[in-house]
Amino acid sequence: MTPIEELLYILEGVPITLAISIFSFLFGLILGIPLAFLREYMGKSLRILVDIYEKIFRTVPELVLMLFFYVGLGLSLGIGLFKDAFFSATFVLGLRSGANQSQIFRGAIRGIGETQMLVARSLGLSRLQAIFYVIIPQTFIIATPGLGSEYALLVKDSAYSFILGVIDMMKKADIIRKTTLDMVFPYITTAILYIILTFPIATYLDKWGSRKKKQLGI
Amino acid sequence: MKEVVMECRNLWKIYDGKIIAVKDVSLQIHEKDIKVIFGPSGSGKSTLLRCLSMLTPPTKGEVFLRGECLTKQGIDLNKARARIGFVFQHIWLFPHLTALGNVELALRHVLKMPKKEAREKALEALRVVKMEKWANYYPAQLSGGQQQRVGIARALAKNPDIILLDEPTSALDPELTGEVIDTLRSLAKQGTTMLIVTHEMPFAREVADEMIFFDQGTIVERGIPEHFFTKPSSDRAKKFMERLIEKTAGEQNV
Repeated sequence: MTPIEELLYILEGVPITLAISIFSFLFGLILGIPLAFLREYMGKSLRILVDIYEKIFRTVPELVLMLFFYVGLGLSLGIGLFKDAFFSATFVLGLRSGANQSQIFRGAIRGIGETQMLVARSLGLSRLQAIFYVIIPQTFIIATPGLGSEYALLVKDSAYSFILGVIDMMKKADIIRKTTLDMVFPYITTAILYIILTFPIATYLDKWGSRKKKQLGI
Repeated sequence: MKEVVMECRNLWKIYDGKIIAVKDVSLQIHEKDIKVIFGPSGSGKSTLLRCLSMLTPPTKGEVFLRGECLTKQGIDLNKARARIGFVFQHIWLFPHLTALGNVELALRHVLKMPKKEAREKALEALRVVKMEKWANYYPAQLSGGQQQRVGIARALAKNPDIILLDEPTSALDPELTGEVIDTLRSLAKQGTTMLIVTHEMPFAREVADEMIFFDQGTIVERGIPEHFFTKPSSDRAKKFMERLIEKTAGEQNV
């Protein structure tokens, strides 16, 4: 294989890497926002449940979780969707991202403070309407830089899924290593590709969020 | 006899079972009435206003809005609050929305007006406070006085039965205070029913139908403005008025 052929072969893995990253990010978003609001606005028992969830997914290595869901629940116990390696990897990263994003959003909600809720209620908005029209839009602006880093983290950690046999960038690079015995070029190429996939977006979101925050005085 | 718009009977607010913020207050505000509440800071004026709009539920007593009891169980407080305008001391606009967006929000989502109608109403309210030129500016781009005028427009646009104003100028410097006072003065001329907590005495003297001296959570003395400016009967009110007048004179000399 020429270096160009190797590069093209690795590039074929980009859609899978991106798919894992984007789907797990969205899954994390869908989990993280309600969890953050439950944690901030609801009673103590819910708070403890959210805390336990966050602790588990922020401390147990994703590799352990991926193997547990894919090999344990999927292959050994034969539980439906977990038999699919791509699904298991995305699911685990999504759960982990939900824990992280819950914390990111919680910080943002605290940054907004209670007065915005008070003012919204004074206008006659219900609590849910206030969350939807007043708190969430501001939360997103404050959370944008954090969400950028979270996205970068997911692209990075999507590489673990190659252990489960998912044919992503990492797996492609490893196949080249195995077949050509070139142990340098494929990994350097992959490393550069990971940087390209994460750095510009994360930096842009960081800049955009900080600028917007300053502009609006949030 | 003018209709009673808002009323509270024997209202109490007690925090943690021991800190009395509002103590047995009864009050009636009639159609087109302007009542001014004044008194030392920490005397419970803000708490009273928040209890009247049920933002802080009172511990005891009743609040009525056009005869409807708001302290009764099962009342839709969101609907009631939609009929009460509230202007806060610290301006607290929604920073992610333009001036127009701030005013429109409740019209769209509380009063459920169609988009076009809400926009027209909101612009009309901004016109009343002379802020229509700034409709598309974000709060951070406006001065404190302009922001507070938007805050007043936001309360006004809902066409509320009454507007409660909690020291609307005390976070502003004297120059900006002037423009907000002018706005309030024009609302007063149009017959807006208002309950205002303020220490702007010349303004109060000019527009108030009644002034209420509030101290330690309760009404100490009440009467027409001239009563306070000439012969307040309680010592506390007398001392407070003297200090306020001194302060105002001091500011005018600067």
